[in-house]
Amino acid sequence: MGFNGVSWAADFVHLHVASAYSLRYGVASPAALVARAAQHGMRALALTDRDGLYGAVKHAVACAEAGISTILGADLALVGPAGDPAGRVLNSAAPARLRSEDAARVTLLASGRRGWASLCRLVSAAHQAGPRGAPVITPGLVAEYAEGLIILLGPGSDVGRAIAARRPDHAAAALARWREHGEVVIEITDHRTRGSTHRAARMLRLAREAGVTAVLTNAVRYLDPPDAAVAQVLDAARQLAPLSERHLARRNARAYLASGDDMAAIAARVCGVPEDSTMTQLLHATAVLAERCTLDPQRDLGLGGRFMPETTGGAPLVTLRMRCAEGLRRRYPGGIRARGQRRVRRRAAQRLDHELSIIAKTGLASYFLTVADVASLIRSRGIRCSIRGSGAGCLVNYLIGISNIDPLDYDLIMERFLSESRKGLPDIDLDVESARRIEAYRAIVDAYSDQRVACVSMMETYRARSAIRDVAASLGLPPHEIDAVAKAFPHIRAGRIRNALTELPELRTSGLAMPQLTAVFQLAERLDGLPRHVAMHPCGVVLSDTSLLDRTPVERSFEGLPLSQFDKDDVETAGMIKLDVLGVRMQSAMAYTLTEIDRTRGEQVDIDTVGCADEPTFEMIRSARTLGCFQIESPGQRELVAKLLPRTMGDLIVDISLFRPGPVNSDMVTPYLETRHGRQEPSYPHEDLAATLSETGGVVIFHEQVLRIIHAMTGCGLSEAERIRRMLSDDRSRASAGEWFREAARDRGYNAATVVDVWEVLESFGGFGFCKAHAAAFAVPTYQSAWLKRHYPAAFYAGVLTHDPGMYPKRVIVGDARLAGIPILPVDVNASAGDWCVERVPQLPGEGLRPGLREVKGISEAEVARIVAGQPYTSLRDLWERAAVSRPVAERLVLVGALDSLYDPDEPDAGAGEPDAGAGEPGAGAAEPGVAGESSVARKSDVVNELGVTERSRGAEKPGVAGEFGVAEKPGVAGRPPSRRDLLARVGVLDRRTRPSRPGPGPSSRLFTHSVPANPHKRDTKAHHPREEWEAGAPAAGGPAAGEGRAVAGEPAAGEGDARAGGPAGRGGLVGGMVAGGSQALLDLDADRDGFAELVPAGELRELTPAERVETELEILGIDLSRHVVSFYEDLLAQLGVVRSADLHRCRAGSRILVAGVKIATQTPAIRSGMRIIFATLDDATGPVDLAFFESVQPRCAARVFGSWLLVVRGRVRRTGGSVSVNGEECWDLAALEEIRAASGIGAVRAAMAAGDVPAQGGPAQGGRLSRPVPEAGEKIIYPNGFVLSPYAETGSPGPGLKGPPRKLWHASPGSSGGLDAGIGNSD
Amino acid sequence: MSRTYAEPVDVGVQDGRPTRFVWRGRLYTVLGVLDHWVISREWWKQQNPDLDTPAEREFWRIEASPGRSAGAVRGPSAEVSPGRRARAGTYELRHDLATGQWILARVWDLTG
Repeated sequence: MGFNGVSWAADFVHLHVASAYSLRYGVASPAALVARAAQHGMRALALTDRDGLYGAVKHAVACAEAGISTILGADLALVGPAGDPAGRVLNSAAPARLRSEDAARVTLLASGRRGWASLCRLVSAAHQAGPRGAPVITPGLVAEYAEGLIILLGPGSDVGRAIAARRPDHAAAALARWREHGEVVIEITDHRTRGSTHRAARMLRLAREAGVTAVLTNAVRYLDPPDAAVAQVLDAARQLAPLSERHLARRNARAYLASGDDMAAIAARVCGVPEDSTMTQLLHATAVLAERCTLDPQRDLGLGGRFMPETTGGAPLVTLRMRCAEGLRRRYPGGIRARGQRRVRRRAAQRLDHELSIIAKTGLASYFLTVADVASLIRSRGIRCSIRGSGAGCLVNYLIGISNIDPLDYDLIMERFLSESRKGLPDIDLDVESARRIEAYRAIVDAYSDQRVACVSMMETYRARSAIRDVAASLGLPPHEIDAVAKAFPHIRAGRIRNALTELPELRTSGLAMPQLTAVFQLAERLDGLPRHVAMHPCGVVLSDTSLLDRTPVERSFEGLPLSQFDKDDVETAGMIKLDVLGVRMQSAMAYTLTEIDRTRGEQVDIDTVGCADEPTFEMIRSARTLGCFQIESPGQRELVAKLLPRTMGDLIVDISLFRPGPVNSDMVTPYLETRHGRQEPSYPHEDLAATLSETGGVVIFHEQVLRIIHAMTGCGLSEAERIRRMLSDDRSRASAGEWFREAARDRGYNAATVVDVWEVLESFGGFGFCKAHAAAFAVPTYQSAWLKRHYPAAFYAGVLTHDPGMYPKRVIVGDARLAGIPILPVDVNASAGDWCVERVPQLPGEGLRPGLREVKGISEAEVARIVAGQPYTSLRDLWERAAVSRPVAERLVLVGALDSLYDPDEPDAGAGEPDAGAGEPGAGAAEPGVAGESSVARKSDVVNELGVTERSRGAEKPGVAGEFGVAEKPGVAGRPPSRRDLLARVGVLDRRTRPSRPGPGPSSRLFTHSVPANPHKRDTKAHHPREEWEAGAPAAGGPAAGEGRAVAGEPAAGEGDARAGGPAGRGGLVGGMVAGGSQALLDLDADRDGFAELVPAGELRELTPAERVETELEILGIDLSRHVVSFYEDLLAQLGVVRSADLHRCRAGSRILVAGVKIATQTPAIRSGMRIIFATLDDATGPVDLAFFESVQPRCAARVFGSWLLVVRGRVRRTGGSVSVNGEECWDLAALEEIRAASGIGAVRAAMAAGDVPAQGGPAQGGRLSRPVPEAGEKIIYPNGFVLSPYAETGSPGPGLKGPPRKLWHASPGSSGGLDAGIGNSD
Repeated sequence: MSRTYAEPVDVGVQDGRPTRFVWRGRLYTVLGVLDHWVISREWWKQQNPDLDTPAEREFWRIEASPGRSAGAVRGPSAEVSPGRRARAGTYELRHDLATGQWILARVWDLTG
């Protein structure tokens, strides 16, 4: 072998390679890089991602598959001399990752098992050392983990930078320092940027002079030169700056995965003369280092191993046996009772033996013990915890307390969960209360220590919207345009952007296919699937032994929990036990319901022991009044339960299993319902299968049935049957499974026709079936939630509204409660808690619902806490001072009537204590609540709670305005309570007087402006002024007078501007003095000095009309609390002859009718034919109206259906079973029609509807009629067994999300909102 | 000290390197390459950029003297004989890889 460059070129190995797991830096996936390296004939490839080892396992797996060796490392940022990564002073508000952008970097390579452990621990330590998301190292830190690590110092290192700065002395010194800390190798890289070859040559000289090995790399970021454009976009996205020469002056397209020959050419260039010995040495050293750093996936990385937590006390299997025996006695207390009991226990004991034998064979005893321990840990903290998934079929889980479902009750089998044929660990999934999920994780970490526990991470990847955003920003598009373009797309893959533009009707008419955006879309598609953000997986927790941190790098999650850099597949590959602990909102909602029941009635309901055969509960389910219930609240499910008419838990299990795309579309539902309701005799392919199939009328619904059929026909045993079942889901393996099955079944004596029949059934339904154990686990909370709704409706609604577990916006749940006769009380600063509460009211059924303060948009947790702590309040001023709420929040509280009870007209002295009311009258200040006021405060508040509130809520339900003016008609100002407008003005006065030198935007009420915030559900949680912030402020520097002028002159608040309103300067001292009670004098003094309209007498300004009230409620709470929105359109609906939900059942099938309402849901689910059908549900105040829009009408309807909030739809009545729905044919914007009616009368509305030229309110005239023919939407995705799917199924809707409230409810002005954004909506 | 031009030139290339060029009717012989680098073109400023080919510009900073070449082309670290260097100037050539066009970009005129 000659020591020449040519032969070493063949041995070249890339040692510095970034994959896409270098977030917003690398472009290629590990697998693609490995495939290319293999194609180049390289025998190994390194992956050295920036800041982490996120791709390490995927890289190792890809290398093993490609038959090349694995090398792993990490590229980490160095802390600068001043402790800051970049060594320079930067705004501390800048994102951490931005601050580390300029840091010097070194690459660490792992050698051997020890090296891998060091690498993992160093990466973890780097994340610990830096701010979250911006890991940093120091030479000292590297020294701590130096064993088995090789420090690669390239052009980006401190050494390389000194060379670039022509300071060879500094470079030599830095190099010498590094050599004290570990094994050092100089990395030579030349991307042929300006001067880079010279720098590389100087690096090489430094290495030679210092006697340090030098190796050659290409610092790879992508596969091929054309990918450089994507890398440049990522650079811009990472640096939050548009593309410009300034950022990219030294970039070109040379960081690709070059061939060995290309690398030899680079070596020749750097070394000066081809074929010289320096070059040979360089390439030789590279190959040698690669050899040294080759890792063995099993031996060094531990892939494929199994690392269980150490258990205490004896052999795990013995302990498990013992605990199962104990469980058997507890769960089946046999004894002298009925013989049936004993038989059940005997059956359970037999089953237990069987299960334990499998557990013994698979060696998983300690796994079960660990999960049982975790479940009891969680429950011991009072957190609701239930099993989900196939684990419910395992008796052992029931006996040792992991599960509360007896598998024998529902005839569940264990093999679906754990069988000898199954490789890897089974999944036991636990559901816990979502609101306490992090608490549950902490409990596990506390018990097992962070040496053995980590949460599992997941990569959020670029999809259409995010890719468009980043690309468009890097190309310098204005933010509002970026927003509009991105939101125009549904939640689809980035790779489908241009297809979607031509295929989706609502995008075809959007005008987005303009040439200026071509490059944006083209590049955005190339970001498809690239990781962009590390997040905590919603449920994965890894448990391992104390070697965990040698095998996975760990960083901190947002919540401060240890987070493995491996995702859920990686941790399994790496042999760690993964436990799924999933937060389920319904569990939180039910827990809250139970505490509300306890609080208001003193009843302790144990929902887990209420049984499962309550007839009133099932009766409610059968009538489809299931809004808010787990699993069965969607429009489709309400239709299905109404047809299926469940009477038992078993029926619910079937219902849940049937309501899935597969069964629904492969027509399993109809034959099941036919036999269930006795319209058809069940038929079985063979009588031997009758026992298995009778429970579902001959239809295969459950996986468990598939297993039993296979076993019955072949006698193979359930474990083997499970293996065969898993083969059914894949085309290739299904064929071989079929061959095996036919042969085995014929051997057992079944005739050929039967065998073919049965296999056909298995083939077509097997893949779609549902795990019955999983359905059973789901059915429990389904039943429990329905039971709570039936028996404790008010508490149930409070739970559902507080934890928002379902698919509907909260206003729909409120509407459901209203229909159920539960009074909806207003928000009240004296009566509302943070969350929704049940409140006694003196009317049937005696319980009302009081919204929580958290519903108020923009309110902070601190404000909620202060308001609740300070209750009751006597006046606005009292609230302002003691609860110290920010001005926007105070205004919102006023607008939603949260202070109305303080000024109740029925209360003689209401409002008398209000200082502002009498601010102009001398002596009025004497009524200022002092110590003397306390007793009257309490009394008044009591009255308000018992009486005032209900009085008012009843008044609010009157549609007219008489009540409002009744007050105003009283002569004189004295006895009149202040209107909400009066109070709003007083907030302004208070703000100017008491919080003077506020430099930011002044009046922030937007009641009558058009900049309605986009989405009340997206709380601007940052938009508050925490008390701490004020008090941290400088002492009243500006003084009241100075501040006042500014506040008054303040520009009208721009949108959500109050978040940024003003720094802390000058607020502290004054507020402090105020709270101390010494402020009255100040206020009076101010009033005297004040020359203009600062006095706000009560009743001077008109009260809000009922319509305005609802508008502000929707804007601030997102809920039409006082009245249903649709009630304002009653006249129009009546004149048009719109059929209401309550009357829908009287319509004949096929008749053409008009329906209307607020859109509460849109879905585009998977449909058998591959069509995209838009399902929408409207709420018209009498109930829901379900709609379907087929592809033929989508060109004229889709944009409107997705874009409008209030709709009128014409369509044909469709009746199926007991339910009625409407196939939409045309639709209009209800608000726009009302506008026409108001202006020109009902005739004009009819004319406009006939002409089809009604724009969406406030938006451009888009949609409308299109006469051109519609091409089929998209390439269909064809599944085995003929199931065809639209590529846009399940992608959600573009434009406003389900919860998106309107921009405007009533016409405000023609508005200027033309262009793209108006039609496209507001929520993401 | 240097002057900026943007004049098209004819360039003779050997093994990927410029060996001589004709500027304003005069033949220059490349004595040595001082530096050579590549920069991405600013594709993001174009209306319809071709994103499938890397739009690159190659820069060559060379020493050259009027007249015929006498010796072999040398690499960046190679020495140039003192006699030639006396008459040599430094030139920067820009090569647009997409169009194939060569431009004389800058000249460091030692006599000027």
